[in-house]
Amino acid sequence: MADIKLGVTLYSFTYEYVTGKYSLEDCVRKAAELGVDGYEIVATQMIPSYPYISDEFLAKVSEFEYKYGIRPVAYGANTDRGKLHDRDLNDEELVNDTIRDIQNAHKLGCKVVRAQYLLSPENLVRIAPYAEEYDVKVGIEIHNPETPSTPAMQRYLEAIEKSGSTHIGFVPDLGCFATKPNIKNYDGALKKGANKEMLDYAVELKRADVPLREAEQRLKDKGADPHVMSAFYDMYGYLTFYNEPDLDGLRRIMPYVFHFHGKFHAMRNGEETSIPYPEVLEAIFNTDFSGYIVSEYEGHSLRADGLVDYDAFEAVRQHLEMERRILAELGQKQK
Amino acid sequence: MGLQMRIHLRDILQKNSLRNYYLRGRVEGFQFDVLLANYRGHFLSTIEQLEVSINDQPVPKKDILFCLNGKEFIVDDLKNQSNEFWTIATPATIKVRKPGGLEKGSHKVTLTLILRNPYLPKPGSTQPHDYIPINSSDEQHMELC
Repeated sequence: MADIKLGVTLYSFTYEYVTGKYSLEDCVRKAAELGVDGYEIVATQMIPSYPYISDEFLAKVSEFEYKYGIRPVAYGANTDRGKLHDRDLNDEELVNDTIRDIQNAHKLGCKVVRAQYLLSPENLVRIAPYAEEYDVKVGIEIHNPETPSTPAMQRYLEAIEKSGSTHIGFVPDLGCFATKPNIKNYDGALKKGANKEMLDYAVELKRADVPLREAEQRLKDKGADPHVMSAFYDMYGYLTFYNEPDLDGLRRIMPYVFHFHGKFHAMRNGEETSIPYPEVLEAIFNTDFSGYIVSEYEGHSLRADGLVDYDAFEAVRQHLEMERRILAELGQKQK
Repeated sequence: MGLQMRIHLRDILQKNSLRNYYLRGRVEGFQFDVLLANYRGHFLSTIEQLEVSINDQPVPKKDILFCLNGKEFIVDDLKNQSNEFWTIATPATIKVRKPGGLEKGSHKVTLTLILRNPYLPKPGSTQPHDYIPINSSDEQHMELC
């Protein structure tokens, strides 16, 4: 049975932070009010001294922990391979940036770093000795349209297993188990004036696994409007969904999973609208996983767009309530 | 233009920030403040295009300074600033050299600001160094403070 701890990524409060409604301290305090003891911080979003950790920032983090009883548990790194103006970073530079991220996480007391897929399997293996030195686990994020079983992720799995390191692995984003178009994508397109029949046809094409180019052509032939096309590209990209969640793939990589992003877009009647949390949490529950699932709200613009009537705090509250309910039921079943 | 990112959750050109600035007792030009249209900050080296027009008149590149973290960069030097980070919470100040500055009243400020999203390659691209652009452009009628 897994030892699942629930946390919140401060990224959930993107809208509030970016508009100046919440300071960093407010984000931390609000996360604590949600009844969790750990948060994730996206370094490029909320660390003023990025790409470094200043003593001043460190003092703030300690002060917040003292005041609110919550601390950073995961460090969200961005693999900015394209940061130079004239070329991609080479392997050495990518490794150096990731070592700095590991040291930053270590300073903050985070036990997990979320890295991104532009850090290749070979480079992930190269940073393993540093991850071990600092006892910080580095996981490649598995984000839509990838799932644990897609070829790109299988290459990481092979490299991780071959390395023998216990400190490199994965951070799956639960959005990769979505089985329905999400509300931002579908309802958002309708609200903008997309033709419903055509939008449903786009969903149908995705459900039938029609290849992207062919599906694109079929939609264009039928005269699909730009809102349908935009939603369609998202369905094949970062907001994709599958007929079946890749839970067998998840079970296969679980020995190397350190942390989860509990992605969600919208809550309705106590359930996430596109991700089958009961099934996904059951799969995790029945493994030896020990770590955090951090609630990651990605509906930053939904309220302003009139698609939902709650703010991020209420959204995360409902998400945590759902997770606690499902986990309690699973615990009951166990007995 | 192709696929672009634009996370427009707030104003980009900052209200009440347009003012004339002084150097040794004389009005050297005008300035205004800008926030990024994104959810995270970026290195200045990811800025690919920075242009300003005032009342539909394009400002020559040589007259623009991008000011952040206590430093003032000429436009052509921004691309070399790969360790200078612009956080999402920090307004940058754009200074435009214009001796005498702007007249009192409202002015139309047009900002073209395009960045490279350095962790998001264009989907399906097989080219190196080919990333989704972030559009952080804006246009506002701003009152001189």
